[in-house]
Amino acid sequence: MSIVFKRTLPIVIVFATALLFILEFFVTIPGIDFKSAATTVNNWGIILTAFTLAFGAVNLFIFQGRHILRRTKGQWPFSLWMLIVIVIFIVIGVSSGVSSGQYTWLYSASYFALSATVYSSLGFYMTSGIYRALRAKNIESGLLLIVGIIALARNAPAVAAGLPIIIPWEAWISAVPTTSAQRGIMIGAALGALALGIRTMIGRETGFLGKLTEAEKGG
Amino acid sequence: MFVTGRIFALGMLVVIWVFILGGMELAKRAMPTFRKLAGLDALPEMVGRAAETGKPVHFTTGLGELNTNMASQLVAGLSVLAYVSELCARDGVRIVYSVYQSQVMPLATELMKAAYTSAGKPEDFDAEDQVRYMSGEQFAYASAVQGFAERERPAANIMIGPFYAESMLFAETFYRIGSIQLAGTARGYQIPFFAVVCDYLLIAEEIYAAGAYLSKDPILAGSIRGQDVGKLLALVMMIVGIILTALGSSALINLLKM
Repeated sequence: MSIVFKRTLPIVIVFATALLFILEFFVTIPGIDFKSAATTVNNWGIILTAFTLAFGAVNLFIFQGRHILRRTKGQWPFSLWMLIVIVIFIVIGVSSGVSSGQYTWLYSASYFALSATVYSSLGFYMTSGIYRALRAKNIESGLLLIVGIIALARNAPAVAAGLPIIIPWEAWISAVPTTSAQRGIMIGAALGALALGIRTMIGRETGFLGKLTEAEKGG
Repeated sequence: MFVTGRIFALGMLVVIWVFILGGMELAKRAMPTFRKLAGLDALPEMVGRAAETGKPVHFTTGLGELNTNMASQLVAGLSVLAYVSELCARDGVRIVYSVYQSQVMPLATELMKAAYTSAGKPEDFDAEDQVRYMSGEQFAYASAVQGFAERERPAANIMIGPFYAESMLFAETFYRIGSIQLAGTARGYQIPFFAVVCDYLLIAEEIYAAGAYLSKDPILAGSIRGQDVGKLLALVMMIVGIILTALGSSALINLLKM
């Protein structure tokens, strides 16, 4: 692949697109409609995303198909079931439309219920994670333990009712040290994202283009 | 000409841009030093452990999408993916990248193929097996990653990008199967979950610096120095703001509203 297609063209596209969005956000020039240009570019993005769904579907069929053909132990029945479900969704979605009652029922009765189940299992994962984290092994974990107990007790209605003194403690911890730390992280993250964006725009951050040689990086 | 209410933000963008470019220029004379990022330094060890045990390495960028404001975290994750893929290719370790958004697939495939080619082992790369589209639905994707973890029991799990509720599902599942874990996200609500479960953690801005840190490129390192000057400026503005507000002045607030 020539250096133009591998490096120059992607960087030019990234720079031009990013510049358009910066101008659209900060500048208004009579006679130049940055907003509609930005909307058009956004729409291109949506169309491209729709195209790439085919990549995902093809990948799923190839990967799961391999397991079915090889009869991979402990995997192939799930692969087969997955492909059957995909085909059912495609057939009903294409024949009746994704807003139809049949499709909506299928989605709500299967994915929606399963999704809620997986989400609710999070409670158990959080409990086991917290159980390990709340151990006073050193000063830091001791502090975490104290703060954790206060926060847990505050959020347990019976404990908070019996021991109302912890309510302002927890409120102070949430409002002062936690919020300060979160804001510090947010400022650092915003500056980091900005620096990454600038490096990407000017073609110095090329990680997303894959491994480039020194010559391809442009020195 | 300029949109009212965004003039100060534009000014700050220009100033930080100048800092970053200035940092890059200075770096051409002398390589800036980084503080150690233990998580990134541990990557060769994580891949080495996978090579010893004969198990794969798992990588995911969470719910990163290219067309949302989470794109920067995804790009940061992809930089690390390129580095880890090359390490895996060199050590003969299978790396599996779990994809949430199909849009990322061609990008990741090219990136990993280039890493394998760079390591001199392009024939070892199997795109269909190693770049896996899990699902575009959050909990279907989460279940698929958990299923992969239980079935293939990877020796190492690397998660860099924007994570939501699935962060704890992943961290705990991989912890239970004994994977060594590196997690990094700029989403503040998920950082504590990763902090309590994972072996290594990259906090917020550290994920954006990962590409520069791993590349050892002095110019990229210089941009981090410029970014740090920006952070210092933010700190000065906060202190000035506190003093002015305490004195009853709203000058800085009015300036920010420009």
